[in-house]
Amino acid sequence: MAPPSGLQQSAITPDASNSLENGAQPQHHHPVLVRSATVPVNLKSSRPDPSHLAPEDAFVSASPPRRPGLFDNGNGSGNELRPRRMRRKEASRSRSRRRKRFQKLLWVKQSYPDNYTDQATFLENLQRNPRVQPYDFWPLVADSTIILQHVCSVIIFIVCFVGIFQERVSPVSVVGWGSFATFIGWLLWDWWVGQESQDGPVDGTPRAGAMGTYRDFRPPRRQDSDVGLQALSPSGVNTANPSALPSAASSSTNLIQEPQTQRHAPSASNNGNATSLLTPGHVHSRSVSSIHSVSSQTSAAARAGSGEACGSSGYRGAPASRWDRAKLRLGTIKSAILIYFTLLGLSPILKSLTRSTSSDSIWAMSFWLLAINIFFFDYKGSWDGAHKFPVASLSTNAALMASTVLASRLPSTGQVFSLTLFSIEVFGLFPVFRVYARQRSWRYHVLLTVLLVLGAGCGVGMVLGGEDEHLPWKNGLIGMVVGCLISALALGGCSWWLIGLQKYKNEIYGPWDPARPIIISRRHWDDE
Amino acid sequence: MAPTYNIAMVSDFFFPQPGGVESHIYQLSTKLMDRGHKVIIITHAYDGRTGVRYLTNGLKVYHVPYFVIYRSTTFPTVFSFFPMFRNIVLRERIDIVHGHASLSNLCHEAILHARTMGLRTVFTDHSLFGFADAASILTNKLLKFSLSDVDHVICVSHTCKENTVLRASLDPLMVSVIPNAVVAENFKPYSNPAEVARHSFGQDPPPARPLGPHDTITIVVISRLFYNKGTDLLTAAIPRILENHPNTRFIIAGSGPKAIDLEQMVEQNVLQDRVEMLGSIRHEEVRDVMIRGHVYLHPSLTEAFGTVIVEAASCGLYVVCTQVGGIPEVLPSHMTVFAKPEEDDLVAATGKAIAALRANKVRTELFHEQVKSMYSWTNVAIRTERVYNGISGAISEAEFYGYDASNPASWSATRGRSGVQSFALIDRLKRYYGCGIWAGKLFCLCVIIDYLIFLFLEIWWPRGKIDICPDWPRKTVDERREPGVR
Repeated sequence: MAPPSGLQQSAITPDASNSLENGAQPQHHHPVLVRSATVPVNLKSSRPDPSHLAPEDAFVSASPPRRPGLFDNGNGSGNELRPRRMRRKEASRSRSRRRKRFQKLLWVKQSYPDNYTDQATFLENLQRNPRVQPYDFWPLVADSTIILQHVCSVIIFIVCFVGIFQERVSPVSVVGWGSFATFIGWLLWDWWVGQESQDGPVDGTPRAGAMGTYRDFRPPRRQDSDVGLQALSPSGVNTANPSALPSAASSSTNLIQEPQTQRHAPSASNNGNATSLLTPGHVHSRSVSSIHSVSSQTSAAARAGSGEACGSSGYRGAPASRWDRAKLRLGTIKSAILIYFTLLGLSPILKSLTRSTSSDSIWAMSFWLLAINIFFFDYKGSWDGAHKFPVASLSTNAALMASTVLASRLPSTGQVFSLTLFSIEVFGLFPVFRVYARQRSWRYHVLLTVLLVLGAGCGVGMVLGGEDEHLPWKNGLIGMVVGCLISALALGGCSWWLIGLQKYKNEIYGPWDPARPIIISRRHWDDE
Repeated sequence: MAPTYNIAMVSDFFFPQPGGVESHIYQLSTKLMDRGHKVIIITHAYDGRTGVRYLTNGLKVYHVPYFVIYRSTTFPTVFSFFPMFRNIVLRERIDIVHGHASLSNLCHEAILHARTMGLRTVFTDHSLFGFADAASILTNKLLKFSLSDVDHVICVSHTCKENTVLRASLDPLMVSVIPNAVVAENFKPYSNPAEVARHSFGQDPPPARPLGPHDTITIVVISRLFYNKGTDLLTAAIPRILENHPNTRFIIAGSGPKAIDLEQMVEQNVLQDRVEMLGSIRHEEVRDVMIRGHVYLHPSLTEAFGTVIVEAASCGLYVVCTQVGGIPEVLPSHMTVFAKPEEDDLVAATGKAIAALRANKVRTELFHEQVKSMYSWTNVAIRTERVYNGISGAISEAEFYGYDASNPASWSATRGRSGVQSFALIDRLKRYYGCGIWAGKLFCLCVIIDYLIFLFLEIWWPRGKIDICPDWPRKTVDERREPGVR
């Protein structure tokens, strides 16, 4: 293969090579470099410095891949480019045959100065926004209802606290209605699951999905405490190794840790982990740190049994399911009673927990904790164990801690008990139910959203309406209307805003980005 | 008589730490000194290396005591370097401050302070950065800050230039492309049998040239074994290459987190007799390893220049490399086979290279002389000198930037009519202000504080009180050899 011409041009003798390499040298043979030869063309543009990237460049041409001419700002100067280059080429050819076309190569000795910028090839491989998928308005709004739901349930919780704190609502009624709703939700859930287990195992493909949902949502069937706390560590749901769980949930309160350790057994047995299934002692040995180690041992044993039952109902399918589910319900009721009495016993301790702290600190703290809850909540709603950092457990822990410190402001044990139980229902169980309802049917999701918005609006209206004894419902109605308006505005406005912001999207890709290697024969020694 | 300058090279990265930037600075400084300039190097203190050191050729290195946080990058304090920097600059009567490497904090600070003190600044970029992740966004913003007021930027390849122009929003005309080079004398191909005796080849025979049909072809890989060096590709490709070509073997030098994958691959496929892993080697040993092979395989995923493939070609190896970053610009096509960064393509390209070598179609023995004529540090020094001439006004702006001097519309806003960037504080502030809505104001604040510190230092340590350092005797350039220099 003959060496390319560039090589021959680069003479070995120092004399010639020096003169060639020297930037001043072209002066002798060529006309003075005019700016038109080396500089971007559109100098007459209104921009102060056309050769710099201006902010407009980021979005003027939002249409994905841009043409090479980076510096033409749309007023036809791109067309100007070609004739001018041609003219220069003609001129230089007539004067000297030695001036070659600029090449984007480093090994060629070029007769151009080092800072020469070639119009035709500069940034020719630049791509802008090549992989952008535009958002659509209505799907965006639909997706953002998930956030709305969560915010509304947090608002409802706060409203209930304020009601209890101002002694306008009896704590018993709050927790009574809350528990009633939870019970209804559980029944609904049980019914859905029953339905699904009937038509689930018939054919293969839906079964996989159904199994997934079983695994994800089994705890709520089992009820309150551990149902809700299932959300504490979604990363642990699919882990076969239960010992990973205590670390996922920070032991902010003993209250949280207690039911949390309980749920290892079922989650382990879900995965068919026979050892942990058969040795409940091994499982609950981790709960020693919790106050209720004794009681949780028994319950963990019971849970292991129920977990086995539910595992069999999930995997083995219909035949044994009736008996299994009855056993499971029994286990659920048992654990509900356990949680109930645990909370009852804990309430006096919680009541005096923050007596030495001033109320201002408590309000600020609970505000931040609830903000953490909202911002770190797992809106994705599918627990696939892919979380590196257990953000959702952070969220639930923050909410329960907020409820604990808020409850400690309340004067009586009954109030403390009610609020804590209610918070477990709202932050632990309800999100799980919401996710399941959304997967189940879009209609349930919309219904739930509307109910939540109305409830939150009504509650806020009544709380803000003051002690007006004879017209509490008027304030509530106003609240509902305002709540609906605000949520509609927020949903529509934020979605519209996000879509509007897309025009600023300016992803730049080019040859400088690290290439993505395509490796076909994935190494088989990986999967061990 | 060509003007000569007092140049300070500033970078966090310098010897004793090994690396590409380090040797670039050293080689460039040495060659600039050969051309009659005075060059000093300012870097931070390394373990056991503090104070002032002299290297070969009278190259003076200042090791500034500084707090190192991560991979020998100093802690960014923006201002704390100024007093010492001013002292060094005045003592050495520096005209031009030349910073290297975009991850070097010391270099960015030096550029800022040098502009405050009214010196010319040049920046050399050695690396490529993306635009997507948060770390790059931050780095790019800081780069924009320090390059807002730089006089000229040098990039090592055209891809690198495009990248830097986009990252720092520069006028492409104030960015020059000056490639790296190799010291060709240090990368001579294997030539005589005496050398074979000197370098023990172990049990292997020396590489056969010309190749017979059944001679073993040795493929050399020298790279740090990291993800972005394409070690995954390598791990996937090696078994397939060895399977397709019976008389081939691999020599892999280098270490890193991906070494374990390679070792596993070797054990899994029982290739211990055909893949030799040397571990990490020193830069001086690179040539000794290279001359044991016929083909150099470079599977990198990103590369600004890729000095190592030039070194390999200089050693007379046929180069197989991925077509990423600045690599396609570096070597002519008769020395290389390009592959897409895909496993299949890499295997195919290596197969093509092996077939070409077996057919004796590649004149690898000519590579050394060709590379020698393409890349030399003297050439780099001459081209860098032209940049210095351009920014200090020794060659006219029209000539340097290619202006049409009669057309006032062609004056760039970044440069004044003096032909060089103005030092007036208000002009500098204007340049920084354009960096962003918030960043612009923040940067302006930094510049103003820097200027106040400068005034304070002028009062507190007056220039007259600072000793002037006696210069090392300068070399004189033989003018007859440089007819073009003005």
